Amino acid sequence: MKNTKLWITAAAVIFIAAAVWCVIILTKPRGDIVTITQDGKTLYTLDLGKEKDRLITVEYDGRENVIEIKDGRIHMLEADCPDHTCINTGWLEEVPIVCLPNKLAIEFADNENDAVAR
Amino acid sequence: MNAKKLTQLGLLTTVALIIFIVELRIPNLAPIPGIKLGLANIVTVYAVYRFTAKETALILYARILLGSIFGGNMLAMLYSLGGGTLCLLGMLFLRKVIDEKHIWVCSVLGAVLHNIGQISVAVAVMKTTAVISYLPFLLVSGCIAGVFTGLCAQILISRGRKAPKI
Repeated sequence: MKNTKLWITAAAVIFIAAAVWCVIILTKPRGDIVTITQDGKTLYTLDLGKEKDRLITVEYDGRENVIEIKDGRIHMLEADCPDHTCINTGWLEEVPIVCLPNKLAIEFADNENDAVAR
Repeated sequence: MNAKKLTQLGLLTTVALIIFIVELRIPNLAPIPGIKLGLANIVTVYAVYRFTAKETALILYARILLGSIFGGNMLAMLYSLGGGTLCLLGMLFLRKVIDEKHIWVCSVLGAVLHNIGQISVAVAVMKTTAVISYLPFLLVSGCIAGVFTGLCAQILISRGRKAPKI
C-alpha cells in the first residue's frame, strides 16, 4: 500500500512539474531573432524586426515547405506533408513550428543557452 | 500458444485497431503534434494486467504496425514505436508494484514514458532540440488522458472479474 502512494505522488509531481514548465515556456520573453533549421542544420537566421515581407521555399527530399514572413511575423504557408500540423500551428509564438516529416523547425532563438549549444 | 489465447489476442488487437482508427477522425485539439487521447491504450493497459509481457507486446506492435498502414501515416509509426516501447517496458515493471485497484496510476506513468519516448525519437529524427518545448504540453495532456484510459481499463478488469466465467 505504501508503494502505491509513492507512485501516485510521483505521478502528481510529474503532472505539476509539467504544468509549471508549460507556464515557463508560454511566458518566456522572446526577441526578434528566428532560426529555421532542417535536419540539424540552420538554414536561415532572420531578424523579424527588420525582415521584409517575403516567401521562403525550403525543399526536402522532393517535398516543399513554403514559409511566409508578413508584418514581422512568420508562419508556414504551405507544406507537402500529410498532417499539415505545421500550418495549423499558425504564426510563430512561444512554441516552435515543427514539420516532422520534412524535419523542419522554425523557432525563436534563445538568448544565451542556444548560442552555446549550437 | 493455443487457439483460445490466439483468439483472445486477435480480438484485443482488433478492438485496439478499431478504437485507433475511430480516434483518427477526432480533430486535433491543439496544434502540437502527438497530442491525442490515446484511447487505444485502454487495450494496452488492460493487456498489461491480464496477459504476459510477450503477449502484450504482440498486441501493441500489431496495433502500431497495422494502425500506421490503415491510418496512412507511416511517418508517425516511428514515434509510436519509440513511445510505445518505453511505455510498455515501464508498465510491465509497474504492474509488479502497483495492484489492480490502482491501474490508473500505472497508466499515467505509462503515458508519461510514452511522451518521453515520442519526443526522444523526434529529437533524434529532427536533430534539433526545438521539439523538447512540446514535451511539457504532451505531458500535461498525457497525464489527463492516462487517468482516463487507465480508469477505463481498471473498471473493465474489475467488472470482468465479477462476470461469470465463459
